[in-house]
Amino acid sequence: MPNLNSNNYTVIYVTIMTVIVAVCLALAATGLREKQAYNVELSNKKDILKAVNLDDAPDIEATFDQSIEKLVVDVNGNVVDGVDALKIDLKKESKKPVEERNLPVFIYNNDGNKSYILPVRGFGLWDAIWGYVALGNDLNTVQGVAFDHTAETPGLGAEIKDNPSFGKQFEGKKIFDEGEFVSVEVTKNAITEPEHQVASISGATMTSDGVSNMLKKDLGSYLAYIKSLK
Amino acid sequence: MEYLNLFTKAAFVENMILAFFLGMCSYLAVSKTVKTAMGLGLAVIFVLGITIPANWMINEYFLKPDTSIFGEDLTFLGFIVFIAVIASMVQLVEMIVEKFFPALYTSLGIFLPLITVNCSILGGSLFMVAREYDFSHATVFGLGSGFGWWLAIIALAAIREKIRYSNVPAPLRGLGMAFIITGLMGIAFMSFMGIKLD
Amino acid sequence: MAETATKQEEKEALFSKNNRRLLTDPLDDNNPITVQVLGICSALAVTVAIKPAFVMSIAVVAVTAFANLAISLMRNGIPPRVRMIVELVVIASLVILVDQILKAFSFDMWKQLSVYIGLIITNCIVMGRLEAYAMANKPWPSFLDGIGNGLGYGALLIIVAACRELFGKGSLMGFQIMPDSYVGNGLMLLPASAMFLIGIIIWIQRSRNTKLIDIS
Repeated sequence: MPNLNSNNYTVIYVTIMTVIVAVCLALAATGLREKQAYNVELSNKKDILKAVNLDDAPDIEATFDQSIEKLVVDVNGNVVDGVDALKIDLKKESKKPVEERNLPVFIYNNDGNKSYILPVRGFGLWDAIWGYVALGNDLNTVQGVAFDHTAETPGLGAEIKDNPSFGKQFEGKKIFDEGEFVSVEVTKNAITEPEHQVASISGATMTSDGVSNMLKKDLGSYLAYIKSLK
Repeated sequence: MEYLNLFTKAAFVENMILAFFLGMCSYLAVSKTVKTAMGLGLAVIFVLGITIPANWMINEYFLKPDTSIFGEDLTFLGFIVFIAVIASMVQLVEMIVEKFFPALYTSLGIFLPLITVNCSILGGSLFMVAREYDFSHATVFGLGSGFGWWLAIIALAAIREKIRYSNVPAPLRGLGMAFIITGLMGIAFMSFMGIKLD
Repeated sequence: MAETATKQEEKEALFSKNNRRLLTDPLDDNNPITVQVLGICSALAVTVAIKPAFVMSIAVVAVTAFANLAISLMRNGIPPRVRMIVELVVIASLVILVDQILKAFSFDMWKQLSVYIGLIITNCIVMGRLEAYAMANKPWPSFLDGIGNGLGYGALLIIVAACRELFGKGSLMGFQIMPDSYVGNGLMLLPASAMFLIGIIIWIQRSRNTKLIDIS
């Protein structure tokens, strides 16, 4: 039996352990990366479809390819070519200066009735939260939303995704008030402006505030694009 | 001023123990007397203050795909590397305490090594990544959270020292009361949530 | 917990008296939460409703059991000075490996469980049992100790979650129990309420089991 307290033994032990662990994890991560990326993309597509109530389609991929048109705009509303809207990482974009950001837009064309699905991203209590907001033809009325999160508390903050009645509240809300951008606010107080406010999840104030903030901030960066369409 | 805000926010508004309820185990178990609580609290400040900037650098230069010197996305290693850094820091603290403060070492017992899995320490590193702080903000955040943790454990220990003179029902004495007091303190700290500091 | 009871009965013949105690002690006399004060943070985070508490309990039973087993097998070779790093690295890499595999092959399940990964790795029960038990005992008893402590933790979690869900939201397992006129008690949704509930559970437990009373 080697002397467990000797420096050599400790160093060798730690080195071997580190190598084994690193190799195992690296193999797992590189080997599975493609599959994981595919899963993440699929889940994003599903969320996009959920915003326009298409997420119960049997084949998410096919439905997405058929019915959703993707494009990328900048903060001035000009279309940016050569960038795949699905491949844009909102986390990276949020760190760039506003003028350089690529803003993805997904358009669902339902017999001439267009829905504009805009992604938003922010912070909840623990980590990132994000979502998709579908605006109707008038670019004012919210048709539907789909929120998702990394690690909100199950049963509280996680309700933004798990509890359908939270998302349902957004349907029919308006993001403009007489032409002025006001976004939709999640509030724990009594609702005074039924067109622009929804009720928060009780017990999850931080997550609810996070939703308010991300809607205000990220929908706000599409203002020029929305104006150009009107 | 910005740093002062961040510090205050980390210490009070987003207090690791009383707002996020992280790092509870050692907090409840080692708060019988102010003296041991002080020892553990200082150890936590030290560990948080060192590991958060250290993990920030590791995350920035080794793990993140854009800034890493390897140019690879190694963020999946985040958890394990952060924990390894924390564990080595704690081991270091353990050795120092054992050598220079043997009495404190005995009274802290298993809870000194358990700083490693003290959720507030790893939580601090993960918050730092999730909230995308830069280096100086990360350091201030680490120190602020550590200070908040220290403050909370000192406060609880002081209350527990005094409550010994009260006529608490026997089965509730000690741990039971500690839970209830912490709950009340947590509710009191919720009043800080209204403060907006950015 | 009926399921576990039958499981124990079936295997009883295989278990010596001491091994059986490893499973039953943590349920009461040596409960990880109310007596050993381990794993409190996660107990607060997942007890708003029964479902997450249940998922977390199962995950913790599995992780403590296998982590105890793994470390117990390695215990004679671990250099004492770096034992914590070794313990944590072993556990964390196992958990991360499972996480990565789930993310690739069972994405929906991963979405459900990924929230808990951080909570499990930093759950002091895992580390606490490794330090207190697995480092000094044979693999099989260590494995049982892991299961026992996981169950003791889970039992408490589910009691707390049931109270919080019933009074906070008026439902159990997502089904409405209270009449519609019941207004949810907002306090029960705050983590602080879990502190009160655990405090009360300690009170009840110690009035029954007077040897646990803190003299100081």
